[in-house]
Amino acid sequence: MEELQKINRRNFIKTGGIASAAVALSLNSLDAFANGRLQKLTILHTNDVHSRIEPFPMDGSRNQGLGGTARRSALIKKIRAEQENVLLLDAGDIFQGTPYFNKFGGEVEIKLMSQMQYDATTLGNHDFDNGVEGFYKQLPHANFPVLIANYDLSNTALSKSTQPFKVFKKAGLKIGVFGLGIQLKGLVDPKNYGETQYFDPIAKANETALLLKNDYKCDLVICLSHLGYSYRNNSVSDKVLAANTRNIDLIIGGHTHTFLDVPEDVKNLDGQITTVNQVGFAGINLGRIDYYFEPFKNKKMKVGTPYLINNKLDA
Amino acid sequence: MTVKNKIYILAISLVLLGSCTTKYAVVKSNREEQNINSSLPVDSSIIKTYMPYKVKVEAEMNEVIGYTDVVLSKSSSLPESVLGNFFADAVYNQARKIEPNIGFVFPTTTGGLRNDIAKGPITVSSIFELMPFENQLILFNLKGADVLKVITNIAARGGQPVSGLKFNIKNKLPENILINGKPFDVNKSYWVATSDYIAGGGDENVGFATPISSKNMSILIRDALLKEVKEVQAAGNKINAKLDGRITKN
Repeated sequence: MEELQKINRRNFIKTGGIASAAVALSLNSLDAFANGRLQKLTILHTNDVHSRIEPFPMDGSRNQGLGGTARRSALIKKIRAEQENVLLLDAGDIFQGTPYFNKFGGEVEIKLMSQMQYDATTLGNHDFDNGVEGFYKQLPHANFPVLIANYDLSNTALSKSTQPFKVFKKAGLKIGVFGLGIQLKGLVDPKNYGETQYFDPIAKANETALLLKNDYKCDLVICLSHLGYSYRNNSVSDKVLAANTRNIDLIIGGHTHTFLDVPEDVKNLDGQITTVNQVGFAGINLGRIDYYFEPFKNKKMKVGTPYLINNKLDA
Repeated sequence: MTVKNKIYILAISLVLLGSCTTKYAVVKSNREEQNINSSLPVDSSIIKTYMPYKVKVEAEMNEVIGYTDVVLSKSSSLPESVLGNFFADAVYNQARKIEPNIGFVFPTTTGGLRNDIAKGPITVSSIFELMPFENQLILFNLKGADVLKVITNIAARGGQPVSGLKFNIKNKLPENILINGKPFDVNKSYWVATSDYIAGGGDENVGFATPISSKNMSILIRDALLKEVKEVQAAGNKINAKLDGRITKN
């Protein structure tokens, strides 16, 4: 089950040579920045908010005073006022964790996400806690899509309520976003997930990301994953997914409630960067990744070109 | 249409076509996590949305039902935790009132302990946050071999919240097993209470698939916790859970 983890970032330096190579190679690309041709996209993300509507109570516990939808919303509004192109994404486990869920079944959580103008979410295992029907019941309050590429829900109440991916257009940029869920068997009571069928996330990810890159001509492909950051055993995780797929630029993870000091950059099957990030749980943090894009026309993109990575925002 | 116009239109079309096929490559990525804490302003429109729900929830949830003299914390470097022992003992006490022959209870996993409880008053909300799930308590009559499977799995996982059970973990295997203070006998059968989640194989638990018999005790595990805290309070006492070496690792 979920464990709080604090990942030592020194491991990242050892395995993350790909990121330092990027720093050395891509500075020239930033000529476009001076020319004003760069497009900027801001990704904001949460995971495992677990019905934490209000900040943790001031009771001496570890996370006292942290989180809260009112503050998160204020921060999101401030960023939206400053940035033209914003995507707000969630990686699942919206439900379960405070009496708001026990009493109102997720209505408050979904209403608030709609009010904050979330662009998409995926399904976490706890989103099945009131059964497939329990999630379905709250969907009238959602004005954002539920993305899941590796569950077949066609024999369930959610048969018409989810989609594998969505392509967002922001100022000429095309951003493909798809969702992946964890194996429910053994994790969720079978009566709650019913006839939901699970498919291999790596195969589905490769299939979906290729479609988004090649057919939909997406400039950036993002995976919303509820698989978990990393496991000691061979279970599929975001790190395993990143290393065994192509065409995914960013994996926004969840499930393991992992606090990362900085996102992790993994070398994918094409030798390109697939970034994995997760921001703990309960809305304690809001993840932010700004991507800068340079346009190119009528010339082949340099495959495998690394890019500049900073673990802070531009001033 | 003049030739000049045609060329003009062609030129425009080419530009349009070009703009449609414009591709972008990432040249830079900046990342920075933003902590959500009291330094941030609040969006009052969000509070306005949840306030009607908050009023209803709080009326029920803020009732103080007992007190704890110690922090009930999940954090532990040992195979047991204060919070796990409180949880398991509370369920054991309530389950024994329904079925006095219970050997031990294994009502949740370490991962299922969802929130610590601070020293001081315990509210209904504290218990809901600790145990938000709607799991039922199920009673099993298990063959000794199946009991051993259950305990072996608990040992392999480095301990879980249990009550009525005592053993040592050596090389990830259980030894010196005591059930209700008596040495475990693999040839005997035992009454074990657990959650429907664990019994169903949740979190990779084993041993409950082929019981001699089983029955639903018709009590939510959370309700057992609420009842125990209220009863301790009614008796004029406070919760005082401790680490007692029920599971050791040597």
